[in-house]
Amino acid sequence: MNVTRTNIDDYLVVGLQGRLDTIQADAVEKTMLEILDQEHTRIILDCKEMDYISSSGLRILLIVQKRMLAVSGTLKLCNLQPSIQEIFDISGFSMIFTILPDLKTALKD
Amino acid sequence: MAILFGFFPVLIFLGCLFLLDSFKLVRVRWLIFCLIWGLLTTAMAYLLNTWSASLFDFDFKALSLYVAPVTEELLKAVFLFIMVTRRQIGFMIDAAIYGFAIGTGFALAENTWYYLHLGEGFDVLLAIVRGFGTAIMHGGTVAIFGMVLIERAQRSTSLFSGTSIGLVSAIVIHSLYNHFMVSPLLQTLLIIVILPVVFYMVFMATNNHLQKWLEVAFSSEIDMLRMIRKGQLKDTRAGNYLTSLKEHFDPEVLVDMYCYFSLYLELSIKAKRNLLLKESGFPVMLEPDIKSKLKEIRLLRKKIGKAGELALLPLVRMQHRELWELNQLENQ
Repeated sequence: MNVTRTNIDDYLVVGLQGRLDTIQADAVEKTMLEILDQEHTRIILDCKEMDYISSSGLRILLIVQKRMLAVSGTLKLCNLQPSIQEIFDISGFSMIFTILPDLKTALKD
Repeated sequence: MAILFGFFPVLIFLGCLFLLDSFKLVRVRWLIFCLIWGLLTTAMAYLLNTWSASLFDFDFKALSLYVAPVTEELLKAVFLFIMVTRRQIGFMIDAAIYGFAIGTGFALAENTWYYLHLGEGFDVLLAIVRGFGTAIMHGGTVAIFGMVLIERAQRSTSLFSGTSIGLVSAIVIHSLYNHFMVSPLLQTLLIIVILPVVFYMVFMATNNHLQKWLEVAFSSEIDMLRMIRKGQLKDTRAGNYLTSLKEHFDPEVLVDMYCYFSLYLELSIKAKRNLLLKESGFPVMLEPDIKSKLKEIRLLRKKIGKAGELALLPLVRMQHRELWELNQLENQ
């Protein structure tokens, strides 16, 4: 899984590309923790190219969300593929995260 | 000073076990009940041991080596057994912590009794042996009983083998401890060194197992439910299997089986989501319709009966852990 970082306006846009599964989870968690340690308080996770997420992946997103809440920061998810959106909806995780349809809306909102 | 050695090691050990519970499986309310049960069993065991000693004319040695381990372990195990049958315990981690809490309660009451009874005789050395050795042994034996019981419960529907193996293990360890085959201080040292390592290894292994279980089950259940909601179940192996049951069940029962399967998936996903939330320190979510859905799944289970449940076994393995999962939703 690739993780990209881009600064747009006040946000750090983190692009997640590929599968966020058990095999990738440790490496992604490490990267995400590095990002959090840099004290960014406005983060958008662009999931446009993320085609799979498992419970390990969801756990990482929860860790990020928890850390952001602790610093009164903002975490948004955008561009979720329909199959990923469905996972969030079925499990109820869509009520925990701010999910927006695309990056443009996420930057504006 | 002596009283500190007599009381705190076992409480600190319990606290450490509690902190190792990364999925927050243990509920404080039940932990307190376990401690209270442990306290109560000390009195019960005292009465039972005294009564049996006078009835069968046991001397102190026989009582300490063979009778007390049986009565004390039996009494301590009762509450944990009830908790398992009531699906309050799902994994080795919570079984070990609740079990250790019962032993902690027992040891605290027993050490208080020794302290009050012996007065000045309860010196630092005795306090160290009782606080670090005996107290932790009392917690350890019930924890072992709990871990064996839950491990067996997950494999079979009968709790007999788990109860008997767990109890025998606890009684043998207790009795061996009371034999003091090596010096009490060395024995205490062995307990302090071995038990934490054993617990740590079991906890790590269970945590890994739990994470793998979540990983596999969560994804596959979501995939399956997604197929059901899209009306594509018939294209899957599970759907083919359900279709093949047509020949053996009435249409109404088949509909109930389908609903049961679908509802089980929905509830199971929510229970797993809550586990993930707890692990990450979020409050659990409870949808307003959960209670009615739990009621519904129970009714459906009754309606499809044992035969239906057995037929669905390849799809829904409603055993201890699955029932525990649903119970978690009910009690949150």
